[in-house]
Amino acid sequence: MHAKRIYAAWFGIHFFLITAVCLAGVFSLVAEGATILPSSIETYARKAEITIAWLLGKQASSSNRVKQVIATYLHAAGIQAGYTFFAPNVPSHHRLSLEFFYEDGHVEYESPHVRSKAAALRLDSLLDKLPEERYEPIREVILKMLALSVWREHPDVKRVRATFETVQLPSITEFEHGKAETHEPMFSFDFSLRGQEQQ
Amino acid sequence: MSSLTSYAAVNVQLNRLRRGWQRFVGFIFPSETDTWLTVFRIGLGLQITFYALFLRSDWHYLFASSGKGLVGRELGEAISSFDSPLIPKFGWLIAVGRNLNMSEETVLTVAWVSLLSAGCLLLFGLLSRPAAIVAWFIHLCAAESGGLLAYGADNFMTTALFYLMLSPLPDRYSFDHWVAKTKPKNPQALGFWRRVLQVHLCFVYFIGGVAKFLGNGWWDGSNLWRSLIRPRFNVVSPDLLVHFRYVLPLLGISICLLEVSYPVFIWLKRTRRIWLGCILAMHAAIGLMMGLYLFALIMIVVNLTAFGVPVRPAEHRRLE
Repeated sequence: MHAKRIYAAWFGIHFFLITAVCLAGVFSLVAEGATILPSSIETYARKAEITIAWLLGKQASSSNRVKQVIATYLHAAGIQAGYTFFAPNVPSHHRLSLEFFYEDGHVEYESPHVRSKAAALRLDSLLDKLPEERYEPIREVILKMLALSVWREHPDVKRVRATFETVQLPSITEFEHGKAETHEPMFSFDFSLRGQEQQ
Repeated sequence: MSSLTSYAAVNVQLNRLRRGWQRFVGFIFPSETDTWLTVFRIGLGLQITFYALFLRSDWHYLFASSGKGLVGRELGEAISSFDSPLIPKFGWLIAVGRNLNMSEETVLTVAWVSLLSAGCLLLFGLLSRPAAIVAWFIHLCAAESGGLLAYGADNFMTTALFYLMLSPLPDRYSFDHWVAKTKPKNPQALGFWRRVLQVHLCFVYFIGGVAKFLGNGWWDGSNLWRSLIRPRFNVVSPDLLVHFRYVLPLLGISICLLEVSYPVFIWLKRTRRIWLGCILAMHAAIGLMMGLYLFALIMIVVNLTAFGVPVRPAEHRRLE
């Protein structure tokens, strides 16, 4: 009976955490105004999301032991993120184009690349995450790293311009009328070995 | 007189609570054989083997440190350390390797070989539990160190390996059982871990379905269209998809309905096969039509394990 109680307690805690993480994910989507629900409930959704974040210890300082234990368990069990894949809508596709400027004035165009299709899916997943607000503080660093990964193959390059673009896919009707995908630049950075400037 | 009445009322409440607790215990501790565990072990063995093989050529590039790899392992590790420094990462293994005069490249190679070996061992059921622990740990390190490059399949793999590692291994179809003649496992413990997986899947689909219902693109089929023509997922030609334009809204709504009603109809004997068949077909289609093979395989494995293996009550033995 003792073992059963321990198992049952773990079951309760485990699914409480899953419920909390999933609800936080859904409330976050509602609060961002990404759903068909009326905008009047966005404030309540944000409050609910904050309450759940507090329950999960996310508001605590990074040195807080309770926060660390909960976060470690969530990551170890793979339940740190909700299950809102491709929801409420399919996210936009993004692309990073790199322009390599050589000393003699010629320019080459490249994109970060990997060998396998499985890794390419992961690279795309990273690019699609970058426009999210939470990645704003590290966006430039990631783009620099991605530019550097290609730059290593072109050591003579003087300057690199990295342009991050949203790929606008045509709707069915637009596709039928011959419209292809269009690229909208979101931001770009110029990098050089000696210094850098953001555009 | 009034104290007697209140005593009786408390007693009634206590009895209700006791009955509720017994029903709950009966639900989470059904008696089961270990057939589902065999399916789970073999399925995850396949999954880990394919995962390691698919990433073979990019393994070092994805997990090397800054200046050598794609984005550098340190960034992903810093993000996960911000949540908690206790989350496993490749940085730990590399630090240990450094003390043993092993280069980062060697440690990453050893990690990849260990992961592939763990996958193969799980497939055959040799050293099942150590293999499950090694697979969970290395995959978790990869998912955290390369957190920026992770996607849905990684979360499901971590969860599945976490449950497998805790389940009562080895099963009777494994080499371990054949070699060491291990005793049969407690049927209620077997039932408990299968129930955990079943309940977890209900959460996955219900939340996924609700979230999809909240997006207008699932009602008019535009989300399906966008999913299928996205670069990298565009296995099927858009010219062919256009012919099915009137089917897409129906399919979109059906996917939402299928997912949101999964926690109800998957438990009913009459509808279980239909719901399971539809969910498996949906994941197979995601794999074949979008090229998301690892994601499709892990979802098929967990669904087959949870609801595909017929429930066979084992000889009753209580979990003490």
